Amino acid sequence: MNPQVLIDGLISGSMIGLGAIGLTLVYSILRFPNFAHGELITWGAYFAMSVAALLGGLVAGATAPLGPFSFGWGLIVAAVVAMGLTAVLALALDTVLFKLFRQRQSVMIIVVMASFGASMALRSLLEFIYTARPGYFTRELQIAMPLGGGMRATPDQLLALAMTGVLVVAVHLLLTRTPTGRAMRAVSENPGLAGLFGVDVDKVIRTVWILGAALACAAGIIAGLLVQIRPYMGFDLLLPLFAAAILGGIGSVPGAILGGLIVGLGEALAVQFVGAQWRAGVAFFILIAILLVRPTGIFGRQA
Amino acid sequence: MSVPVIATRGYVAGYERDLPIVKGIDFTLAKGEFVAIFGPNGAGKSTFVKAIAGVVPCFGGTVELDGADITGHKPHEILKRGMAFVPQTENIFTTLTIRENLQLASQPLPRERQTGAIERMFEMFPDLARQSGRLAGALSGGQRQMLAAARALLLEPSVLVLDEPSAGLSPKLVSDVFATLKEISQSGVTILLVEQNVRAALRIVERGVVLVDGQLRYDASAQELIDHPNLGALFLGAEGAHA
Repeated sequence: MNPQVLIDGLISGSMIGLGAIGLTLVYSILRFPNFAHGELITWGAYFAMSVAALLGGLVAGATAPLGPFSFGWGLIVAAVVAMGLTAVLALALDTVLFKLFRQRQSVMIIVVMASFGASMALRSLLEFIYTARPGYFTRELQIAMPLGGGMRATPDQLLALAMTGVLVVAVHLLLTRTPTGRAMRAVSENPGLAGLFGVDVDKVIRTVWILGAALACAAGIIAGLLVQIRPYMGFDLLLPLFAAAILGGIGSVPGAILGGLIVGLGEALAVQFVGAQWRAGVAFFILIAILLVRPTGIFGRQA
Repeated sequence: MSVPVIATRGYVAGYERDLPIVKGIDFTLAKGEFVAIFGPNGAGKSTFVKAIAGVVPCFGGTVELDGADITGHKPHEILKRGMAFVPQTENIFTTLTIRENLQLASQPLPRERQTGAIERMFEMFPDLARQSGRLAGALSGGQRQMLAAARALLLEPSVLVLDEPSAGLSPKLVSDVFATLKEISQSGVTILLVEQNVRAALRIVERGVVLVDGQLRYDASAQELIDHPNLGALFLGAEGAHA
């Protein structure tokens, strides 16, 4: 086995994991699988690209590579702004769409269909604005450094892995150690009772959208940095996202990231041992296998 | 008379607008009172208390808490204004520990008062203190009701509303729960509870009201209800019983 598979798998797995955290949080709080979550990833990447381009045009030196990395400080600023913009997009989507279904207490399948429609609309809007031609944060080429044991990675890839680690630990601590996290866990178990305990359920829902959108944006930026930015990038990640979230157990942040890494590694292994054309099938295979064998996932609890 | 703690006027509530379950109720609860709501199954007792707590939508009339209109307010807003509601079932978070349940309930308080409020509840319910790190889902029925009461009392509400706190408990536990409620009432908390256990409840409450088909049919002191010649028929909503 080529050990490089491990690095490739971990990197794509961390992107999947970041996206899956948002998906799993929204599912556990709002009780529907949000098919528009992939679009938050895509829009996050496009927001970052636009802001970075704007900064690059306005401020000299914003795009000059920082240290060993391929991008300048402009992208760091753009990433923060883009996370905010993606959160605004998610909140807007909730206000004009999902909130109405919550108020009407619509059945889940209706909300799922609505999220599917939102996904198509958001994707088409991006294609309309930016065209289907791929975009890039940077044109710099990076040389992969040897890591030992026959593995190589570029500084950007290592940074992506480190950032994923930091974000996951931060979200996990937020959920398990803070009053906000306690309120989120309470709403996830029983939203009606949470209100009677004094929890502002609407505020928790807003927090979940902001958190999920910011993480989706981070995943989009990492994907854009390591591969390219396309209007279909988030949609193509949707199946691996669901596989990761379900594999880890719905509602579990550590589960989502672990699920993401397993799906990412599975895809990388498939490319090496079976053939690149089977890559997309791996997530599907894993998804069906979990649903048959352990529908609650690794860290999931019985409903 | 001072401003009532709870006052409803022409109160209409239910799950669907064209199918109201509570059909125009005028009810007042004075400060310090201990009142039970009785009535046959389907009379709208639970729906009435759930609606004034903001859980079930109100379709008409008004409800005031300490003189302020709270009609249509959200449950967390009503709680902050001083009404704590304990549902009949699913009244604690089973996936949180006992301490986490109380921590969550203490969140509306200023940070510096939260720990003190939790410790006070542990003093009041030593059973809970002994197992504070356990998941609430592992508690027995009686202990769950104690935790549910503790979290409601933690904010020192001006009125405590309980939906059938004795449901599903053994006779021994029922008298424990009622004894605790009596103590809470004697400490000055206004209490409104829905009960099926009429005779046991009449021994601790001061006043009882009877709902039949979403309307208030009878309102009397506990003693009058105990002395009523046809108590059984009254609670089944039989006509003529309130003659």
